[in-house]
Amino acid sequence: MVDRVTRVACVWVDAFGAAAVERSEPALRESPLAVVAGTAPARRVTEANAAAREAGIRPLMGEAEAVARCPALLRRPAAEETVAAARRALLDACYGLSPRLEDAAPGVVFVDIAGLERLFGAEPQIAERLARASRSVGLAARVGVAATRTAARVAARLATRTAVIAAGDEAAALAPVDVRALDWPPAVAAALARWGIATLGELAALPRDGLAARLGAAGLMAHDVACGRDRTPFRPWTPPPFWEEAQALDWEIDTLLALEAVLERVLERLTARVAAAYLAADGLQLRLALLSGAHHARALALACPMDETRPLLTVLMHDLAARPPQGPVVGVAVQAHAVPRRAAPGVLGRPAAPAVRDLATVLSRLVALVGADNVSAVTVADSHHADAWMAAPLQPDTDAVATDDTNVTPALAFRRLRPPRAVTVETDAAGRPLAVRGALADVARVVRCAGPWRTSGEWWDADRWSREEWDVALDDTAVVRLLHDPVHDRWLFEGAYD
Amino acid sequence: METRSWLQRGKITEIVGPLGSGRTSLLVALLRDVTAGGGTAALVDADATFDPSTAARAGVVLERLLWIRGDGRRDVAVAALDLLARCPGFTLVALDAGETSPRLTVSQAFRLRQAARRADVALVIVGRERVAGAGAALAVRTRREALAWAGPCRRPTRLVGMRTAVQVVRNQGAPQAAVEHQWWTA
Repeated sequence: MVDRVTRVACVWVDAFGAAAVERSEPALRESPLAVVAGTAPARRVTEANAAAREAGIRPLMGEAEAVARCPALLRRPAAEETVAAARRALLDACYGLSPRLEDAAPGVVFVDIAGLERLFGAEPQIAERLARASRSVGLAARVGVAATRTAARVAARLATRTAVIAAGDEAAALAPVDVRALDWPPAVAAALARWGIATLGELAALPRDGLAARLGAAGLMAHDVACGRDRTPFRPWTPPPFWEEAQALDWEIDTLLALEAVLERVLERLTARVAAAYLAADGLQLRLALLSGAHHARALALACPMDETRPLLTVLMHDLAARPPQGPVVGVAVQAHAVPRRAAPGVLGRPAAPAVRDLATVLSRLVALVGADNVSAVTVADSHHADAWMAAPLQPDTDAVATDDTNVTPALAFRRLRPPRAVTVETDAAGRPLAVRGALADVARVVRCAGPWRTSGEWWDADRWSREEWDVALDDTAVVRLLHDPVHDRWLFEGAYD
Repeated sequence: METRSWLQRGKITEIVGPLGSGRTSLLVALLRDVTAGGGTAALVDADATFDPSTAARAGVVLERLLWIRGDGRRDVAVAALDLLARCPGFTLVALDAGETSPRLTVSQAFRLRQAARRADVALVIVGRERVAGAGAALAVRTRREALAWAGPCRRPTRLVGMRTAVQVVRNQGAPQAAVEHQWWTA
């Protein structure tokens, strides 16, 4: 069954586990590198990069044998979070070109490129763009384009960088391919060698029923590969709202200076992914794994969407300086909440908004001055509570407008004390305030007052609140709002009208 | 009252007056004019006393307002104002200095004015006393004239409004305008 995808690109990364390690430690790219798993002395190589393979290192080889064959071999333990982050990075890179992707396996992404010619040119150019996008996130991918995913995968596997199989040429293009160039299950590889099958064309010519009888499902799958046919439907990938980049550390970090260097590398990878998909981060979540087994988690709302490393690093470092982790760090993970990047500088007839680069720079400096928690736009929360608001990113290009001009009357502003200050209030027999101590002056007589204005809320919960509001004009010219808490019988100075 | 004419891009405007005179209401009216017109504004709030819910009721588009919440230190608030004054793209950058005016030297005030002129930003400083001196192109003083109460005359239940007189005390290169009056609704 061939599904409706007519042109598909396969983005394939060789030895993905090793490529993920190289991505997190770029200095290892030129050296022979092996990813090892298990515990010594039974530790074995799971994947090796090209330089290591040239030196004869193969998967499943024992670590001792690998080191004997290649004394310069660098070994790194297999880390799930590194591979997962690289897998997401490859998807994100492809997402910048096409919204229809399939996450087939670690290091294998199928991209529906039907219709992209109008945007990016002919198929070789699209393949080249995909290869460049993958390299921009630190993964050297090969790209194959064909009418089916199976054929595209074979083309990517055999390409040096990009390869395109023209529509209808799948059988002819695949027929001369040496079967030993592809990875088969051991039983299939042994059977093909025993039968003298050398090319995919010869494999495709074998009777399908006979293959099924002798090799089972693996035989049918091998036949589909040889014919370039897809048997499974395209499973579209949906990007999650949070984009994560993580790095496990082989050593403990106990200084902010050293942590900054690691965070910079993690953020560089994260921003490269986010920027490749034409998005920006408007919120960050930092999660540091500590040596003690605990975690240091922080959620930061950014005052404006950013896609550059330096301002994001500044925000994170100032937050860490204010709230340092309680112990050595052994793992770093940063999640970004991605939103569409501002595409246009503004709207015709509307004042130009600050440029994103200028805004990000000034915001990072403001964060250094007053702290990350004190710089943001806000939204009013849907609550009857008096001071209910939430931090939100600044949106200069929002289409929001003020309420109808004709209905808005100039409003009396209120200056709110956070938190309200406890005061002493003298009252008359009816409970109306007569004098206030400790609000603005030491003692202020009440000239006129209005109230009580009773409100309450969350009475269904443990955090129930109830209060009586009094608007009070004092003899020192201030007009203030006093709160009387009937539950605890205390008076609070909430703020002043101005 | 036409407040838009008090927004002078590239210049400093000062709004001064005692607490309860309506100076913050005037600032909120300016923020509303800017944000409702599609502009971006920033408010450096030295004491973090800004109330978003009353501002939203006044018509301020909060998505276009960057609120910097200070910890009471005036020097930090002035440094934040200086940073924002150098960022092109903001239509209005305001400093709410509250009851304690910051110490601003003449050279600081002129540097702020220069930065505002280069970035084409309107700077507004709100406080009890004037601090920018000759660096301000416009200065207005607010004074409370009356309060309006709702409910029975002897025992009102709510404050509903305040009337403010706004007097221009400095208007560089122009004659002083007459006193203007404004009712603010609570």
